[in-house]
Amino acid sequence: MKEKTLRYEALVRALHGDIFRYAYWLTNDKSTAEDIVQETFLRAWRALDNLQDEKAAKSWLITILRRENARRFERKQFDLVDFDEVSVAANEDQDSDAEVRQVRRAIGKLAADYREPLMLQIIFGFSGDEIAEQLELNKNTVMTRLFRARAQLKDALTSSSQQRGLHSG
Amino acid sequence: MDELEFRRRVYTNPADKDKELLEAAAQNPDNEAFWQDIKQLDEKLKTAAKVAVPDDLANRLILKQTLREFNHQKRRNRWYISLAASVAFTVGIALTAWQQQHVQLDQAALAHMYYAETEQPHVNTEVTPQLVNAKLAQFGAELDTSIGHIASANYCILDAIRSLHLIIETPEGRMSVFLVPDHDKPMTNDFADEVYQGSSYALHNTNILVVGDRNANIPAFKSELKQYLKFSA
Repeated sequence: MKEKTLRYEALVRALHGDIFRYAYWLTNDKSTAEDIVQETFLRAWRALDNLQDEKAAKSWLITILRRENARRFERKQFDLVDFDEVSVAANEDQDSDAEVRQVRRAIGKLAADYREPLMLQIIFGFSGDEIAEQLELNKNTVMTRLFRARAQLKDALTSSSQQRGLHSG
Repeated sequence: MDELEFRRRVYTNPADKDKELLEAAAQNPDNEAFWQDIKQLDEKLKTAAKVAVPDDLANRLILKQTLREFNHQKRRNRWYISLAASVAFTVGIALTAWQQQHVQLDQAALAHMYYAETEQPHVNTEVTPQLVNAKLAQFGAELDTSIGHIASANYCILDAIRSLHLIIETPEGRMSVFLVPDHDKPMTNDFADEVYQGSSYALHNTNILVVGDRNANIPAFKSELKQYLKFSA
């Protein structure tokens, strides 16, 4: 029992940050993200004996997290729409500088289908194959989505900085 | 690799270290500039993705699990306690039932012999044949008192049954006769311990136990008693 507790603590400390961030980008709400992270880690306790290495644990946690998130949608009958500007603004980290806020807003506006593989790549450093496996998609689909996600972000950030340029100029 | 393909691959993964991609960048400054641009974008994305994690989230996760495990344990303990309680309850019931199980009458009679011995000195009143028969009448029996001197005729409790204990002085020695009004009792015919021996028979829903000294002639007294002790039909 003691050993299991230590393993659990190690798992929590190693992965809670990235798992929380991923949850945030899934839900766009800090408290909701925290709720599903709690639930995810409670489930991890039960499966702890089967989580042999960190890689497996990470992927397992992400799977559970996504399932919890899907369940939340079922429960609350949320619309599966993208982040709206208001909620993004409401959750914004006031400490962050304007550029970071702007990038976050742009990420929030991505379609969830694009945002998810991108975040797996950005936060967890997953390869195309790993993302494909995690999301149960074929690799070409994943590659296309990654490409489109960055292309859209590039466009969004370029045009908004141009707008900003126009306003200030 | 054409420019479109180059861009597609850079967008897909700016950290790609594929040889073809590196060559395409080296050959074309525009490609290289684009790559740098997207790498920069990726750095911004990485920074932006790192939203602040709530303070103490890790500790809260651990605490929550610890509390939950504790509650589980408690519930498990409760389960054990209730199991233990019901086992104890069952054992208690069984023990009580077992204790209430009747000891054999002969054992009770023998036990009473020792008790009666200590009790004797208190019984000095003369026992008249009338008194004896008055007591016997409650059992539907009648004794010809010429069988011997009746030293005492007392009610006693044998195995929770109100019985009559007669002590009769006979030529064979002092004999005890117990009348136990319950013929369903498990009976052994002859019984003995270190000091006493006895024999029993049943008549008219009554168990009759004869107990005497270890060397007394019980069978003789028993057959004699059968003639002197009569039951009204």
